Amino acid sequence: MGSAHSDGAAPLATFAAHKILIAGGFGSGKTTLVGAISEVRPLRTEELLTTASIGSDDLSGLSGKNTTTVALDFGRITISSEIVLYLFGLPGQERFSFLWDELSYGALGVVILADVRRLTDSFPSVNYFEKHRLPFVVAINCFDQAPRYDPEEVRVALDLDPGVPVVLCDAREADSVKQTLITLVEAIAARWSRDSSRRGHGLGRPVMAPRM
Amino acid sequence: MPSGDTWRRRESGPVVRPYAVTGGRTEPADGEVLDLLAVVIATGRHAEDADGTVLTPEHRRILNLCRRQVTVADVAADTALPVGVIRVLLADLMIQGAITVVRQRPAGQRTGSDVLQEILNGLRAL
Ligand SMILES: Nc1nc2c(ncn2[C@@H]2O[C@H](COP(=O)(O)OP(=O)(O)O)[C@@H](O)[C@H]2O)c(=O)[nH]1
Ligand SMILES: [Mg+2]
Repeated sequence: MGSAHSDGAAPLATFAAHKILIAGGFGSGKTTLVGAISEVRPLRTEELLTTASIGSDDLSGLSGKNTTTVALDFGRITISSEIVLYLFGLPGQERFSFLWDELSYGALGVVILADVRRLTDSFPSVNYFEKHRLPFVVAINCFDQAPRYDPEEVRVALDLDPGVPVVLCDAREADSVKQTLITLVEAIAARWSRDSSRRGHGLGRPVMAPRM
Repeated sequence: MPSGDTWRRRESGPVVRPYAVTGGRTEPADGEVLDLLAVVIATGRHAEDADGTVLTPEHRRILNLCRRQVTVADVAADTALPVGVIRVLLADLMIQGAITVVRQRPAGQRTGSDVLQEILNGLRAL
């Protein structure tokens, strides 16, 4: 039995679906990472943006029924018959911040991909997930042309809390991505046990309101 | 840093009318915005026979996917239809009794640290 429940009288046997987010600036390797580890084709599911969501300036001159779509990176990893991990890439925050709120709701944690040539692109993700208290790791994506950085230098540059792991990652390599996810889940476990001992009870999960 | 225009071009698609397959409806008929990770399951009942409601090819495709347990996100990915469209079509099928929805427990209640250990074991075994 999974941990899902139905509104009806008899709960149905089903699996528990858990969400991990992949964040990072444009070109930091989000699509590559999801494609490297997902058991499904690197599918991109289109999310709809209504005029209300993105502001009338962007779609001026279009009627309300018109929409634009944004591609969401989407991946799936079956852990067991009872547990499935879902990976979602986060699109650019400037326009799609409402999607960040929706996707972050109920997420276990986040991999923030960082390109050392454009470290400032990671700031919005770091700020957002610090503010929303969602556990994250920073994964320095090893681009061939990029200078080699000591993870500690990146930690200082991003002003990260000591508990935030900083790892090197090659988003093209399944093994490297797997190690990054393992580091994330260990960090989530550490955060939960810290939070629960601080509060004495409960799991200390962040609570965020879903969109609507 | 890429300009806003760069990723506007790369990350967002063309302006389209994807709600054609819902007959222009943009809201789920029952008003519920299903979570991406809610699980949808075909019940085996086909209400169309009872009340004469006609299922569209998209409804049938989705119903077919729901014969094994899948999430709303899986349905969107497998059909390549936008999540907003999928939510409208799933609500139709729910109202007809053709599918049932199993919602994940709210965050904070559904996950114990033993689940994290299971996830770790599963990842290490990949
Ligand atoms: N050398 C190298 N190239 C990478 C790596 N990860 C991604 N790339 C390349 O960087 C480019 C941008 O990656 P993409 O996954 O599309 O970034 P996204 O915008 O965050 O989704 C693509 O051409 C990838 O092939 C990596 O770890 N090493
Ligand atoms: Mg991408």
